[in-house]
Amino acid sequence: MNLSPLNIILIGIAGLLGVGFYGLLITRNLIKIVMMLQILIKAAVLALVFAGKVSGNLGLGQSTAATVIVADTIVAVVGLALAVQVRQRFGTLDVPKISTLKG
Amino acid sequence: MAGILILSIIGISWLGALTVWGLGDRYEKLQHSLAVGFSLSAGIVSLFLLYFIQAEPAIDIPLGSAFGNLTFVPDGLAVTLTIIATVIGSLAVLFSADYMHGEAQLGRYYFLVLFFIGAMAGLVLSGNLLFTFFFWEITALCSYGLISFYNDDPKAVAGGIKALIITQVGGVGLLAGTLIAYANLGSFQIADVLAKYNAIPAGALAFMGFSFLVAAAAKSAQFPFHTWLPDAMEAPTPISALIHAATMVNAGIYLLARFYPAFEAIPGWKTSVMLVGVISALITAIMALIATDLKRALAYSTVSQLGYMVYAIGASSVLASQFHLLSHAVFKALLFLTAGAVIHSIGTRDMRRMGGLGKNLPFARNVFIIGALALMGLPIFNGFWSKELILEAGLEHSPFWTYLLMLIGAGLTAFYTFRMTWLVFFGSARESLHVHAIGSAMKVSLAVLSLGTLTTWLFFGGLSGLLSTSLPFHHIEAESTLEMIQTVSFAPATWFALLTITVGLTLFFTFGRKVALAENPRWLSALTESSFGFEPINHWIVKLVRNFAEKLRATQTGELNWNILGIIGALLLVAAVLILNGA
Repeated sequence: MNLSPLNIILIGIAGLLGVGFYGLLITRNLIKIVMMLQILIKAAVLALVFAGKVSGNLGLGQSTAATVIVADTIVAVVGLALAVQVRQRFGTLDVPKISTLKG
Repeated sequence: MAGILILSIIGISWLGALTVWGLGDRYEKLQHSLAVGFSLSAGIVSLFLLYFIQAEPAIDIPLGSAFGNLTFVPDGLAVTLTIIATVIGSLAVLFSADYMHGEAQLGRYYFLVLFFIGAMAGLVLSGNLLFTFFFWEITALCSYGLISFYNDDPKAVAGGIKALIITQVGGVGLLAGTLIAYANLGSFQIADVLAKYNAIPAGALAFMGFSFLVAAAAKSAQFPFHTWLPDAMEAPTPISALIHAATMVNAGIYLLARFYPAFEAIPGWKTSVMLVGVISALITAIMALIATDLKRALAYSTVSQLGYMVYAIGASSVLASQFHLLSHAVFKALLFLTAGAVIHSIGTRDMRRMGGLGKNLPFARNVFIIGALALMGLPIFNGFWSKELILEAGLEHSPFWTYLLMLIGAGLTAFYTFRMTWLVFFGSARESLHVHAIGSAMKVSLAVLSLGTLTTWLFFGGLSGLLSTSLPFHHIEAESTLEMIQTVSFAPATWFALLTITVGLTLFFTFGRKVALAENPRWLSALTESSFGFEPINHWIVKLVRNFAEKLRATQTGELNWNILGIIGALLLVAAVLILNGA
């Protein structure tokens, strides 16, 4: 496999996805969960741009990516705000400890 | 036009379900009247379908390769059952307006009832087996929800879960048969199955026939799955009348009748169908003899009468079975609703505590007697004509001993029906119970049903005409009502049956009255309590499913990390499949 720019981007997407999933798999801290979600979404954004390039719809890929960036900022903001509230109310950010749902 | 009618029957019912539910439980009066309005209009619309009977699909929507076409076929069989479901359904809803007066959570109640009525119409009208299966499952779900309606009563919840699991066994049978048909014919259309069943290899066709028999037996509470129906009596009484006597349990009979031409030639199939019918009819008649709970006794008699219909199909008389289905739906709804009125007015289901209620509830007594005479099969009432037709078909097309057993069943029916009537309405009061008057909505629906019990047999000519013209594969011969009356009146089968019924009644009056309330011998009680040994089998199935479900709970940790692991696993699986397919 030669390292053409497209292949480098592919490796980047896979790497970001891997990091994000690995993080979600092992972490229990709410802030880290939000961070890992962000990394996953960045992989998705990169994939959108990549798909635009490959399919020839460069503009479509980039505009979709821009939309996703806006949406995912909101996710980050709300997630972090929730984390602050959780910390104030429960005194911890450990997810299993704040889980009160039975079952 | 027929297409619009079909869509509006299902649409009106389901729209009504959502409206009454969405209204909220604060507007109780409006909920009652809306539910009655929606169900009545569905019933009236379904009557118009009678003018549009046809053997070809009225609606044909392509859904894409795997699903085939979504078709609805308004043929005689389907329309008859639709009318039964919607009209008797609307009478049960009307009855509920009094019966459920002041109950909590009426929204949930009416949602499930109306959802059920629409699904039942869809089940019988659908010409696509896959959608028949979907509607079949919806009716099972509604039945479960309504049996467990009083969900703070553990008995009601247990009864609901039992009904759900046992009817699911039937659902699996239906699905297996459906998939076999698709695998061999590449089509889910019922018409294709009936036309080209010869293209299915004999072994596969036999498997399909017997899976459908399992499906029918589970849905119609036939042997060996007959134990869920009595436990379903924890439901509110209008539900017992609607679902567990007049409509849902007919789905199994419908399935057998629908596919009779395809399975007729399978070796042993007809005999098995006949055996299922005979055994169900006999053992539940015996259980009804000693039941002390009014609703349970009626439930046993339902299983018994359904046994007669199954037996008729086994004896190659689809027409007789459908005719009895019609009669039974009407008179059993009448009996159940009258029982509901009685239970509602005195507050107990135990027949040992009733007695002499005829003086206080003359209207209930009179309509109950009409229903009881029809159930016994005495002349003039609709149950007489249809039961005689079944027995006549049995005498002609089945081994003599099965006919003899069914004849004994008819005698037992007369005996237990009279015992029931006697215990509730006659004799002396065994306990002084406070009796409430019966509401007017109840009286209206009971009056309509008792009128039906007296007259529906006049529709025989029409029914046979509809079935003969619109079911090309069944080869049913049209017969006018007058011809039917002549055949029945002069057939020896009729006189045998009447003789047996008279013997049953004489037995009741000579010594049954004394033992009606006596302590039963212990072996008999033990035998009926275990449903002749089949209760443990059904119990075992239910327990197996519940244990499995409990085990599955462990996989639902609610922890993010485990869920992520599941997502990654699924992704890897998809990737692996894609790579393997590509290579």
